[in-house]
Amino acid sequence: MNARDAILQRIRSGLSTGAPVSPPPVPEVWPTTDASTEQLIERFTGELEAVQGEIVRCATMQEARQKLATLHGESQWQRIGSADRPLCRELAGDLPPEQVVWAQEGWASNEIGELSAGLVAAERLLADTGTCVVECGTPEERLLCYLPPVCVVIARVEQLAEHLPAAWEEIARRTAEPDRRGEFVLITGPSRTADIEKILILGVHGPKRLVVILVG
Amino acid sequence: MSAENLHLEGAPFLKRENAGLYEPAGSKSLGEATERSSKHNRAIAAEIPYWQDWREAARQIKSYTVANLDKLLVQFERSIAARGAEVLWAENAEEANQLVLQIAREHDVQSVVKGKSMVSEEMELNRTFEAAGIRAVETDLGEYIVQLARQRPTHIVTPALHLSAEDVGRIFAETLDEPFSANHQHLTNVARKHLREEYLEADMGMSGVNFAIADTGTLVLIENEGNGGLSTSTPPVHVALMGIEKVLPSINYLPVFLTLLARSGTGQKLTTYTHLIHGATPGRKLYIIILDNGRTNVLKDPAIRASLHCIRCGGCLNACPVYRRVGGWAYGWVYPGPIGSIVTPGLVGLDQAGTLPFASSLCGACHEVCPLKIDIPHQLVHLRHRAVNEPSPMNSAVDRLTWKLWAWAMSGPKRYRLAMKAVRLGVRLARFLPWHPGKLGAWTRGRELPKVPGPAFRSRFSRNPNANRNDPR
Repeated sequence: MNARDAILQRIRSGLSTGAPVSPPPVPEVWPTTDASTEQLIERFTGELEAVQGEIVRCATMQEARQKLATLHGESQWQRIGSADRPLCRELAGDLPPEQVVWAQEGWASNEIGELSAGLVAAERLLADTGTCVVECGTPEERLLCYLPPVCVVIARVEQLAEHLPAAWEEIARRTAEPDRRGEFVLITGPSRTADIEKILILGVHGPKRLVVILVG
Repeated sequence: MSAENLHLEGAPFLKRENAGLYEPAGSKSLGEATERSSKHNRAIAAEIPYWQDWREAARQIKSYTVANLDKLLVQFERSIAARGAEVLWAENAEEANQLVLQIAREHDVQSVVKGKSMVSEEMELNRTFEAAGIRAVETDLGEYIVQLARQRPTHIVTPALHLSAEDVGRIFAETLDEPFSANHQHLTNVARKHLREEYLEADMGMSGVNFAIADTGTLVLIENEGNGGLSTSTPPVHVALMGIEKVLPSINYLPVFLTLLARSGTGQKLTTYTHLIHGATPGRKLYIIILDNGRTNVLKDPAIRASLHCIRCGGCLNACPVYRRVGGWAYGWVYPGPIGSIVTPGLVGLDQAGTLPFASSLCGACHEVCPLKIDIPHQLVHLRHRAVNEPSPMNSAVDRLTWKLWAWAMSGPKRYRLAMKAVRLGVRLARFLPWHPGKLGAWTRGRELPKVPGPAFRSRFSRNPNANRNDPR
């Protein structure tokens, strides 16, 4: 008998002493309160700042482009890398090639590590936890979230959901699609550790800064 | 691998002489840190009015999961294989180590970066890699520090909890050739710099698994540092290690568990990174190794089956007054603290770890904080019962004889009087001896035997029944 069958056999014989249990209902984790967009933005901002993330509010995509340019200058960035997603194209599509590199297949990890910042697009934002839900379909998109010292997330206010359960139906449905590869990553603040004496330090392996550009 | 190899420096509870246990400074900072975490995490949990409902929901979901574990594992295998992952099974640590080595050889792996995985600690995977001449580097900061110091983790969530910043500074100075510093930010930067190179050069990345979702074929990893993301995306090969109990039936249940784990583990609303990995990304390989290693022993005892619900948040360690004093090493195996005292006897057998169920005051703090409502105290009592009836260090010929004598002496007034006289005489004589044998010797090494007080109550009472009567009339 191979290991798989031996383990399954042991589980079955071990369980023979137990009664059958039917699947419990999915509990309601938090009730939805139908908060207004303005309330959601306020909650998201508060929670993001509580986990040391930064927010840049912009009324229009035009303003977002200007703010990105300002950020670029103030932070003395060289080149940023960007995921090739519609929202990222809208924001950074007009930047000259000396300022932006677009994710491509086979992009070397050490080149991604040398970028000043990584730009990715959020699928959803979760107001109650200050979380950005980002989809990464390729290794390069994943690396853009973790390797550069700054992670910039672009999102529109329409993408705000109250909390994880409110956004979950969509995330669960898309996760279930059989052709989907890569990951959904829920990002809540910049990389952090408290492994030495429980003292909080930002930017241990991943980004030291997380900047969310919120348009609308 | 035999059970002897599995338990590292395993030894009955408190028998092992170790720094964490006998250094007051170390145990003081451990006690403070765990108490602080426990208070903080409880406060975060108390913020939510539904906390108790979620615990109950999670308990029900997990008990459904365990009751259908065989079917769910097969479903998970099928659904994640459909996403391009290769699923391998290992009955024990030895088999799992061999599988990892086979994968490493197949991909010509010279170096490995490892995200945090308790299963890899169970397997002692780093020793396997070392023996095979493969460089393996822990990337979780706490695990990295512990690996450089050639120690073992003392806590399942914060592995280097027993070390001060000065300790870490000295370890980095000795092993990484860095100037000494005790500054937290500086030390973190040092680790960042060194580990960056490791990620970029590694041929293979390893991780644990927090939840394996059966219906969608999704691997869920939870972390804060970003090392989990980097270890699983930078190298071309990702090997994920999971115990059989990590499966969850449906993605729909996940929000409950993400919330419970983050709040109970580190007191966060959500951890910084939650990865929902659906199979291998293009051009990369994903392997999943599903390990039993004694878990089916736990499963077959219905009284402790619910310990398989554990999501490894570490909450019971922080809450435990015994763990706070003695630290993780004192337990002698990979999983310390209250939950470890149930899991370990299951994994390595009561004959090896039969003293662990007694390493508790049964105060119930662990049960109170457990996000899965695991009734740890009652399970410990059940295991104590088993440990004195089955082959175990608590069931030696001397123990059995002692308890028989005790039962005999306690079951008749004459015998009781006689026994008490013998004890009083024995203690008087023992005070004159320069050295005491066995357990008494261990006790008197740091303490003096108490003086026998004057005449016993029984003899005073029989001489004058009214002497001490406190009668208001």
